[in-house]
Amino acid sequence: MFNLFERRLAPLDSPSVVVTSTLGSILLALAIGAFLFIPFGANPLLAYVSLFESSLGSLRGFAMTLNRAAPLILVALGTCVAWRAGFGFLGFEGCMTIGAAAAAWFALVGVGEAGQGIILPALLFWPAMLAVAFAAGGVWAGSVGVLRTRYGGNEVLISLMMNYVAIFLVQYLVSGPMRAAGNLPQTDRFPTESWLPMIIPGTRAHAGILIAVGAAFLVWLLISRMRVGFELIVTGLSPLAARYSGIDVGRRYLLAAVGAGGLGALAGLVEVLGTQHRLMDGLSGGLGFIGIVVALLAKLNPLLIVPVAILYAALSVGADALQRSAGVPSSIIFILQSLIVLFVMASDFIRYWKPRLPRFGAATAREERTDA
Amino acid sequence: MLPAVELRGIVKRFANVLANDHASLSVLPGEVHALLGENGAGKSTLMQVLYGSYHADGGEILLDGSPVHFANQRAAIHAGIGMIHQDFMLVRPFTVAENVVLGLDGELQIYQEKRGVLDLAGASRRIEELSTHHGLQVDASARIEHLPVGVQQRVEILKLLYRNARILILDEPTAVLTPQETAKLLETLRSLAAEGRSIIIVTHKLHEIIEVADRVTIMRDGKTVATVAKEDTTEAELARLMVGRDVLLRVRKSPMKRGETLLTTRGLTVNDDRGNEAVRGIDLSVNAGEIVGIAGVDGNGQSQLVEALTGLRPVTGGQITMEGTDITGSTPSGRKDCGIAYVPADRRGVGSVGTLSIEDNSVLCNLRAFTGKFGLFRDRGRSRSHARDLVARFGVKAPDIRFPAGKLSGGNLQKMILGREIMQHPKLLIVEQPTRGLDVGAIEGVWAELLKVRDSGQGILLVSAELEEIRNLADRILVIFEGRFMGELRAEDADDETIGLMMAGRSGKTSGKTRTLTHV
Repeated sequence: MFNLFERRLAPLDSPSVVVTSTLGSILLALAIGAFLFIPFGANPLLAYVSLFESSLGSLRGFAMTLNRAAPLILVALGTCVAWRAGFGFLGFEGCMTIGAAAAAWFALVGVGEAGQGIILPALLFWPAMLAVAFAAGGVWAGSVGVLRTRYGGNEVLISLMMNYVAIFLVQYLVSGPMRAAGNLPQTDRFPTESWLPMIIPGTRAHAGILIAVGAAFLVWLLISRMRVGFELIVTGLSPLAARYSGIDVGRRYLLAAVGAGGLGALAGLVEVLGTQHRLMDGLSGGLGFIGIVVALLAKLNPLLIVPVAILYAALSVGADALQRSAGVPSSIIFILQSLIVLFVMASDFIRYWKPRLPRFGAATAREERTDA
Repeated sequence: MLPAVELRGIVKRFANVLANDHASLSVLPGEVHALLGENGAGKSTLMQVLYGSYHADGGEILLDGSPVHFANQRAAIHAGIGMIHQDFMLVRPFTVAENVVLGLDGELQIYQEKRGVLDLAGASRRIEELSTHHGLQVDASARIEHLPVGVQQRVEILKLLYRNARILILDEPTAVLTPQETAKLLETLRSLAAEGRSIIIVTHKLHEIIEVADRVTIMRDGKTVATVAKEDTTEAELARLMVGRDVLLRVRKSPMKRGETLLTTRGLTVNDDRGNEAVRGIDLSVNAGEIVGIAGVDGNGQSQLVEALTGLRPVTGGQITMEGTDITGSTPSGRKDCGIAYVPADRRGVGSVGTLSIEDNSVLCNLRAFTGKFGLFRDRGRSRSHARDLVARFGVKAPDIRFPAGKLSGGNLQKMILGREIMQHPKLLIVEQPTRGLDVGAIEGVWAELLKVRDSGQGILLVSAELEEIRNLADRILVIFEGRFMGELRAEDADDETIGLMMAGRSGKTSGKTRTLTHV
């Protein structure tokens, strides 16, 4: 390998190179993925067309895609806040679960008896709801931040392990204190006033996407316009330089942890108030990790996260449709998603290393000369 | 005489930089050849081409008159070329012998007959032979991490000799050595050359070249501009060839106007990262209008001292005051508020954030001054005009202020950092190794700026391992060794030998010229 590639003095980082290499790797992934359809007798090209038609081609499908994208965006934004500050947080599954539990509690308590109207006026209900969920996730993840800054704990390990604590905690809640009458470990259905409102008539698109896009704007504002955001980025890029320039690195880690946890909790809120309308076991379904992947694909850029998450969600929604209509297993699409992620990540290599084949050309040139 | 190695018309292009532009170099057997040039002149690239790390886009390499092509470093080593990098390539927990045989294959008989077992004892014997023969005292069974840097460098040399290198390339070999260690190294290099080996020293230090080299090749902007014999040249001419204009290596200082006491420490003790005492009871004072120089070989506690003064490292004992106020426990930003600014030794790792723009870096240490009304949002308009001022006033060469700071050359980056701190108008400026790795032109600029700060009545604490720098700038010189001051010298009394002895741990008391520090 050392003979084939030579390190570039500076990586190629012009926008055109980045776009070309990213698009190139997506196309490469699709091309390789095409082979997977062949054993099922499906025409890969038609399969790809129907994949995107079902998820982006119709209003109904697009609505489903948006619903799927909203929690992904929120988790990805949380990843962006934490990771840009150099805080290697992986606990979004747990934050989603905790956020969902807090939202469920507030939906059941804050609305009063089902159907009897909201205790708080609607104008206050939604801000309060968002604040409750955000605070729950913030405290949950913030504790990881405290363990890191106070006691030097490893935030990657702790946050990962705390996912299990959160999941079992909610398992306990739905089979004990918050359990509804009946056989299943779940809460009562929430009063309809606490469901996220529908935003596109005739579809199931709910307001989760609005929360997600709003959050994306706020995170963008934080990262690229605010002093605190700049301090977060400096902390992430170089904790030494941050300390030197008078930034309290510990506090910035803590802030990043709280922000990430809060955003993760909002993802849980969107899931539970938008789609499921009751709290039950196993609600996050891996979204807490897929959101991290989305953030990485979007290079931790808060505005890029929105389209990337929608594309990613479209692939998942299309995969379900494909399985229903053509009997093609949706695992093919998951393989495809993984290929895209791997290739996009690997495409950075070519920006840092340049292929080295000079002797080849030189040798043939010399031979031509002797021939002539 | 046929040159041992000859580089002819080497061209090496990176994306949009022409690093080597038809560079040529020829080194005779038995010659010490210096490759001199400013940073970024293409010296390292040229040597990497010779060492097989880079492939040239044009030109050829000849060994003993016949053209060769190296696919990689291994091929170059095989052909008898050896290189010692500025940062040593040694495995610290391994012994000397283990490091020496690392990466060798069977041909040098490091394996015992038939059994395929590593023969470390045999290797150690050979290392002992080599080290006695060349006067490089090294214990083959010692672990690298326990050895001082001077000895580590001997291990690097032994590594090359073990591989029978005929051509030795040394990249900035004296950067980390005391004057005495440097003298010893240069002696060793002379004796290796006397055996018929060729030595190439890559450096930007002029006085060493005058001491040791037979011939000097000067590089500028990727080209080899001249090759001169030592006898036919002077330091001044070399400096002029290197930067393309006349430079002043002696500075003219105006008489000191000493003002109020700014910073004092009393019995300061500080631990290093491993919990060992690195600063052992230091009393220090810096007044307005003076430059206090702390001289010493790297790693004698000066970094920890500076970190304690700037609030980056907790103190374990003693007291720090600034204008009479106790600041022993205050935070880095608290000390900035007291008027202390700091230019760290590690420009790229601590003093700047490489991926961020010049604009972002120019406000790094004073963020609150560049925000809107409530300190929440950044005021980009003001930070942009500040960055433009900074770039213009301190002559930072960059395409624009959005240029990433990490891509600036060392000299330009240092100007940016120094300028940023000076523009905060501190009462006290602490500078650590301000010209390390800079070329002559940039050193001149940094020195001039520091003297301007002093003359405007601000105090400077200058920590440097470069004697020339300390002697040129400081009004008072303190020499640090193993966490203690060995004594204080007035600038007029200081000569290289006295300071050198004190840097090596010999107390200043033995020399009649020094005035020892009296503890109050």
